[in-house]
Amino acid sequence: MDDVSFELVPGEIVALLGPNGAGKTTTLRMLGGLIHPTSGSVLLDQQIVTAATAPRLRASIGFLTEMPGLWERLTVRQNLTVYARLHGLASPALAVDRMLDLFGISDRGRDFAGELSKGLKQRVALARTLLHDPSIVLLDEPTAGLDPQSAHDLRELVRRLRDQRRAVLLSTHNLDEVDRVADRVAVLRTRLVAVDTPAALRTRLFGRRIRVELARNAASHVSMLRAGGIDDVQVEGAVISVAVNEHVTVAGLVRRLVENGADINAVIPEERSLEDVYLRLLKDSE
Amino acid sequence: MRRILPLVAKELTELRRSPSIFLPALLTGTAAILYPFVIALIVPYFAGERLSDSSDFELATEVFRSQPEARGLTPEAAIQAYIFEYALVLMVGLTTVTGSMAVAAHSVIGEKQARTLEPLLATPVTTFELLSAKVLGAALPGVALMVACFTIYVGAVAMFAERGVWLMMLTPRSLALVFVMGPLAALLGLQLAVCASSRVNDPRSAQQLGALIIVLPIAALQIAQFIGGVVLTPGMILAIALLLCAGNAVLMSIAIRLFHRESILTRWK
Repeated sequence: MDDVSFELVPGEIVALLGPNGAGKTTTLRMLGGLIHPTSGSVLLDQQIVTAATAPRLRASIGFLTEMPGLWERLTVRQNLTVYARLHGLASPALAVDRMLDLFGISDRGRDFAGELSKGLKQRVALARTLLHDPSIVLLDEPTAGLDPQSAHDLRELVRRLRDQRRAVLLSTHNLDEVDRVADRVAVLRTRLVAVDTPAALRTRLFGRRIRVELARNAASHVSMLRAGGIDDVQVEGAVISVAVNEHVTVAGLVRRLVENGADINAVIPEERSLEDVYLRLLKDSE
Repeated sequence: MRRILPLVAKELTELRRSPSIFLPALLTGTAAILYPFVIALIVPYFAGERLSDSSDFELATEVFRSQPEARGLTPEAAIQAYIFEYALVLMVGLTTVTGSMAVAAHSVIGEKQARTLEPLLATPVTTFELLSAKVLGAALPGVALMVACFTIYVGAVAMFAERGVWLMMLTPRSLALVFVMGPLAALLGLQLAVCASSRVNDPRSAQQLGALIIVLPIAALQIAQFIGGVVLTPGMILAIALLLCAGNAVLMSIAIRLFHRESILTRWK
């Protein structure tokens, strides 16, 4: 890893994206105080994470590792109780009950962790991650292998964590998930390629475009637009796609088309997918 | 201790669910209990001779009977007591170390295979607390096994050996051997294993290395005692115990320095 600098603030979800081996898990481990950077530093609440401070600072972090990592010969309750006691919670049993309730697994407390399905194991691991009420939550591929309902529930939970003013860093390969929950995206490829909101990344890479759907073939309007100084025009059947900027406004574009006799059905902001953004960023970083 | 105890309790709970891992240690303990009975009772019984008829044990028995506790024993009882007491070293060493190492191997490899170490390292637990819990969690069952073997051993000696022999198993020297040297030797072996595990990719090799390093001196001590080269006096036991204590303290500090979370998280696949 090299040249990775970004900030994570309370009430924000940042998604870490990158190909396999890009350093997402390593970044999470460094932020979680599990390993230390060979150069540079990690600051938590203005305190540098070192070998000496890490144990104390880890108390404010909840880290969901890539694998649930439950002790399979222990029951769900026993798994959580060990962690509650490691975090020094005043009432471990109450904290465990609260988590079992929150994740809807109260009836599974006596089951051995080894007997649970992957989805349930992930829920228990999440309960363990949030047991000590951490202000920073690091999630390493939290929805990998989950069924759609469980993945949906987990995304809801992540949003609730943001609403509770927790800082959430989420590593994932699921771009749709990122689009649904992330406030900002950090793309890694052993170094930080880009970090910004998805909208800002789209604009930066592809500009803003408007898609105008006409009732009839649009080709006849292209020459009028180009003659009027609008060069970036693409046509496909009855659809015109135009790059907009400070010189080419949506209102101006619509007015010209109408004046040229166009019969407009719809005007839609054209949004490139996050996949396009991601692939473009990776390509540019080569 | 706040974080060590929950981890030790976790180790013991996991162990209760897998009693089969104790099988090799149980077999070792059984063999260690049986072999002095073979030498002191079974072979003479089938040979139709008494040990005191042979001159082989003359010198050793003479030295043994110079101890105040052994003075009242008959020559046959003294030889039996000599054999049973000196066999304690091997029994204590083998059962404690094999018991502890079996648990340690299970605990470390199990932790690695189930990928449970990473979430644990993400808690406020320190390296000292983690290593102490691992070492204690493995040493306690080993010591418990050794105490159980010792109890059976003394009971069997009381039942089958000459009168008064079993009392020789309860001298301060024997008790120090069982309750001080045994646990300290097990701790030393476990810490060696922990040190080695931070430098090798396969934790199983580390456990074997730890066992080898500690079992070899025990076996050497046992042989030296039998051939009369070493007589374990209370002073000598105390000196060895102090050495073991110092060794344990030094090894814990080395283990903490060698325990690289980076290596464990990235190399243990």
